[in-house]
Amino acid sequence: MNRVFWAILGKELLAFLRSAGLVAMVLYSFTIDIYIAGEGIQIKPRNVHIGYVDETGGGISQKILTHLHTPEFLPPKRYRSQKELSRSIFNKETLVGLVFDREFEKDFRQGKKAQLNVLLDATAASQSFTTLGYLQNIVLDFSELDLPVAIKTHKLFNENADNKSFMALTELLSVITLLIVILTAVVFVKEKEEGTWEIMLLMPVDPRLIILAKSLSQVFIVMAGVVLALGFVVFGAFHAPMNGSFWAFMLLTFLYSFSSAGIGLFVAAVSNSVLQVAQFSIIIMMPLIFLSGAWTPVYAMHPVLQVLSFFSPLRYYIEGSESIFYRGTEWIDLWPYFSGVMLLGALLYWYGFRKIGKLF
Amino acid sequence: MKLGVVKAYMLKELTELLRTRLIVMVYLMPSMILILFGYGIRMDVSHARTLIIDNDQSKYSRALTSKFEHSRYFDATVTQMSEKEALHRIKQATTDIIVIIPSSFQKRLLHGQKSEIGVFVDAAFPTRATTMESYVQGVILNAAQEATQNLGTPKGLIIINNRNLFNQAMRDEDAIVPGLIGLVLLVAPAILAALLIVKEKENGTIFNFYASALSKREFLAAKLIPVFLLHSVNIFILFLMATKLFDVPFRGSFTLYWLTSELYILISLSIGMLISVVTKRQIVAVVLTVIITIIPGFLYSGILMPISSMVGESYIEAHMFPVMYYTHILYDTFLIGEGLASAKTQLYLLILVFYALGMLSLGTLFLKKELK
Amino acid sequence: MADLEVHNVTVSYKKKVAIKDASLKANAGEIIGLIGADGSGKSSLMHAIAGVTRFEGEVCYGGVSYRSPKEAEQLKSDIGLMPQGIGLVLYDTLTVAEHLDFFADIRNIQKNEAFKTYRQKLLHMAGLTEFTNRQAGKLSGGMMQKLSLICALLHRPKLLILDEPTTGVDPLSRMELWEILDGICKSEGTIALVSTAYMQEAAKMARVLLFDEGEIIASDTVKALIDSVGNYTYEQTACENERCFSFDEHTYSLEPLHAPHTEPTLEALFFVNALQKGQTLPHIEIEARESQDEVPQVVMEAKGLTKIFGDFVANDHVSMNLHGGEIVGLLGANGAGKTTFIKMLLGLYPIDEGELYLLGQQIRSGKDRQKLKSKIGYVSQHFALYKDMTVRENLLYFANMHRIAVTTALSRINRYAKELGFEDYMDYFPHELPLGINQRFSVAAAMLHEPVVLFLDEPTSGVDTIARAQFWQILQGIKKKWGISILITTHYMSEAEYCDRVVLMKEGRKIADDSVKVLHAAHPDAKNFEEIFLEYYRSKR
Repeated sequence: MNRVFWAILGKELLAFLRSAGLVAMVLYSFTIDIYIAGEGIQIKPRNVHIGYVDETGGGISQKILTHLHTPEFLPPKRYRSQKELSRSIFNKETLVGLVFDREFEKDFRQGKKAQLNVLLDATAASQSFTTLGYLQNIVLDFSELDLPVAIKTHKLFNENADNKSFMALTELLSVITLLIVILTAVVFVKEKEEGTWEIMLLMPVDPRLIILAKSLSQVFIVMAGVVLALGFVVFGAFHAPMNGSFWAFMLLTFLYSFSSAGIGLFVAAVSNSVLQVAQFSIIIMMPLIFLSGAWTPVYAMHPVLQVLSFFSPLRYYIEGSESIFYRGTEWIDLWPYFSGVMLLGALLYWYGFRKIGKLF
Repeated sequence: MKLGVVKAYMLKELTELLRTRLIVMVYLMPSMILILFGYGIRMDVSHARTLIIDNDQSKYSRALTSKFEHSRYFDATVTQMSEKEALHRIKQATTDIIVIIPSSFQKRLLHGQKSEIGVFVDAAFPTRATTMESYVQGVILNAAQEATQNLGTPKGLIIINNRNLFNQAMRDEDAIVPGLIGLVLLVAPAILAALLIVKEKENGTIFNFYASALSKREFLAAKLIPVFLLHSVNIFILFLMATKLFDVPFRGSFTLYWLTSELYILISLSIGMLISVVTKRQIVAVVLTVIITIIPGFLYSGILMPISSMVGESYIEAHMFPVMYYTHILYDTFLIGEGLASAKTQLYLLILVFYALGMLSLGTLFLKKELK
Repeated sequence: MADLEVHNVTVSYKKKVAIKDASLKANAGEIIGLIGADGSGKSSLMHAIAGVTRFEGEVCYGGVSYRSPKEAEQLKSDIGLMPQGIGLVLYDTLTVAEHLDFFADIRNIQKNEAFKTYRQKLLHMAGLTEFTNRQAGKLSGGMMQKLSLICALLHRPKLLILDEPTTGVDPLSRMELWEILDGICKSEGTIALVSTAYMQEAAKMARVLLFDEGEIIASDTVKALIDSVGNYTYEQTACENERCFSFDEHTYSLEPLHAPHTEPTLEALFFVNALQKGQTLPHIEIEARESQDEVPQVVMEAKGLTKIFGDFVANDHVSMNLHGGEIVGLLGANGAGKTTFIKMLLGLYPIDEGELYLLGQQIRSGKDRQKLKSKIGYVSQHFALYKDMTVRENLLYFANMHRIAVTTALSRINRYAKELGFEDYMDYFPHELPLGINQRFSVAAAMLHEPVVLFLDEPTSGVDTIARAQFWQILQGIKKKWGISILITTHYMSEAEYCDRVVLMKEGRKIADDSVKVLHAAHPDAKNFEEIFLEYYRSKR
């Protein structure tokens, strides 16, 4: 590598470090934002409000209720009538309502089928559905039923189904995607905004070298951010497992961010101000992030979206990263992700490179 | 208020919005977010790729496997592959669930002995793992109950009779889309409004306001009314998308939905405007608005977590942002239909009114008709 | 009591005092000129009087006094403000007609017959009648300024505050602007406060306030001001001591010299003031270049260069030569195609038609240029420097880009810093420095690789008098010691006199190309080059 290359690279890193706004944005995205995502977005039921009406003497019913404990459930609250209970559900103060009617205990003691009425606020579909599952298990224990099967479940790779580290990781991957695009585009657009673009063109330097050095400098910034985020948040605060190879992840991240810089080059080619960069990046990246399976596995998507998702490099990156972190997949089995990232990445980079190259 | 002056300013604002093509953002962004998130977020699990290793190959084991095969939640395949190979499949992320039926399953069952069914779930995606686990348990226990019923009458059985209020089929769309409207109508108007004043500050055209006799209130009215009207159209677009595209039922009063949404847009615009008043650069205003609106919008709209489940700080924060009050009324009009009969809806509506008034007065207070 | 009285106005931003204890008086119909270097407090005082910034002190207008923007509110309908910056108050996407409607509406003007006539009159005066449907963003700089001015005049303000309305505006537009202004002040009895960087304009005003470092240091009629420095102005002569400065056939010295006195101009005020404050104006010395590149006889030859944007012909078959060791001034009104022409020469715009030879080599494609890039230096209109890097870092970066050996680069940077007089500012960021310093260090950046030709696009716009004088000394020095060629565009017609040859452009075509002497001979009536320029523009329409 020659001197001009390092000069450009060094200049971009210096310029980045000197612009407080960008540094603040990058630091925020790689730490606080990821922390908020890990800490704040909890989909599994927690602190579920349960209300109940008990018209029985309160033997079995109270026993059942004692099984609903923290952290999943708040202490159940008693209502005097079904009407009051449904009022509370309608006001969305209570998520699940249990009604132990007069017949309930009698039927149960007599060995008949005892019916427990459960009212679910299905506007929060996933929480109420999981709560229903909990109830079913509790109730099953009460039924003096000797089932001939025992189920032994292994939650592979993440025995406690710890959601925090997972959400943090997913957010990290999205942050990488968004930042590499925005940062790369900003590096070029800033030259346009400040009028230094023409000066750059008049340098006796191969434009390809300029583009390469500039985009690589931003990849370095993002990689540094990744290390920061992993150390302080993903491993530090949320104790994510690392079942695979750390270096496989870093290599994949490097390849991915380098190729996504191509999208940044494209954005830089079509925008004239930092504001436009923000607009274009969001419009382009939102679909990419959603098609990636960050929120929903690809196979559960609408069929049309499934096909489209093949074209999102983020899809391969996210699946690959999940596999490395949780599934501990070996290098040899990571090839689909590496080739997906590289193939689409090369295409994207080539396209962006050509698009911005035309401005030189 | 000099109406003619305000009208002229409004006309200028509209012309600029049209000619700078910012208007595309007004209509593209909300619809795009609704479509992407509406189709993109799936909380329930369907078509989980399931491998069933049936080591028994008996009548009873087949009864169990067919239950998996007939469930829409699973894409089940019965194989003879080894456990090790199946686990490898999970590592390659080509399988989500493995169910292993032991070889002496039927024999032990008929002898009244317990047999252990092994279940492996890929927990790389934890919430989905929990859901899949409960589905699998449900299917197996259900099959077991049937089997025991055939073998003899059980005693003291409790059966759960659940009524899924407001969303009979527990559709994700019904649960998510109203919340998304709450998010979209917070973020999109706020970003647009955030640009309105800071743009003039950055370009220098703000001098026209400083140097003219236009009052602060007239200036704000001229800025907000055009974008308010433009965004009002979104109320109808989003309504149509929710009910036609996502088939979300609408059980409440449209008037209530409409008026509350107008009020809410006003609040979102005021938030953006407040940011626009205190910042100096467009890009800072946009980034700040995104940070201030998107995260609370997601957390407190009820898409991810019901407000009732929040404790501590998040409970307080949820009550500080307008999105909670609005989505409460949204879910009511779409799924519940209580409307103004509910005292809580009345209260929340009132809170929104005061919120709007408060934000607008703050904006007027902070806007200074002088250089800083 | 005067119609406008300003008492002890002080404006400060955070801890920095922009203008301190400024006072002035003005009567109806007067035009008051504000002159001074950039950052000397002119704009701040104007903002205070216009009631758009907080200030201490008191302003009285027409019997109403105000001490804050809030109190000034009642007078806003009488005040017209045009802040500094080309097209600053215009909305890029609105047309000329829409601007006039908008400004009329926000001033709540009745659109009756009288208004319509007045509007037509203003449009006509500004020469914008034919452009009412053009969007402001697509107007030339001069048109933008004229539009801004008539927008500020639309409500017939009694107090008109114009902050550098003519900067970056060509002489023709400038004349027209002044005609509008004069007319309004006379007929409407308007008080106008006008700041300007053009001393010829200041000379036309009733009274002039001289600003320096946040204070008004002189306030008098032009004649009185000029007389005050008459004692220090001599015909050009050599002087040894530190406390004198020579420029443009004048020598300014505080100590008596053995040379005849000469009639000073307004510019003299700045030089004498600087000398009186003990600022040493560095004597600029340029050393010979290190490399021994031969400067060819013909550096650049353009044959019928044409550039078309859509259906607008920006350059229509322009031909010109640039010889070795000459300074050529490229002049013309805003939008005449000067910048387009330079950009074609540099390859920033593709050439639509015509032939271009640079350093004896025909340019056909970008590849032809690649090798020549190291022989060309360019300073753009906005002094394109990297804002996030200090002066030293900027220069080092440019040196690296030109692959200049590190030791050579370092010594060269230090030498230029000393020679061009920005040695003390090496570790500052560009935005912390006055425009004049930025301009000099841009030139240093363009000269690092020792080019054989320099293209300078309006390098002196908005730069104050002293800095401009020093800049020309630098250019003369470079030409003399290096023998290289310089092509420069400028709006200061006085600067044309320093060029060996001038090329005049109008509406994309070349209309004159000759030495200043020959042009003066051809126009014997013209007192200065500005008048020659105007004659060309008026006659060959």
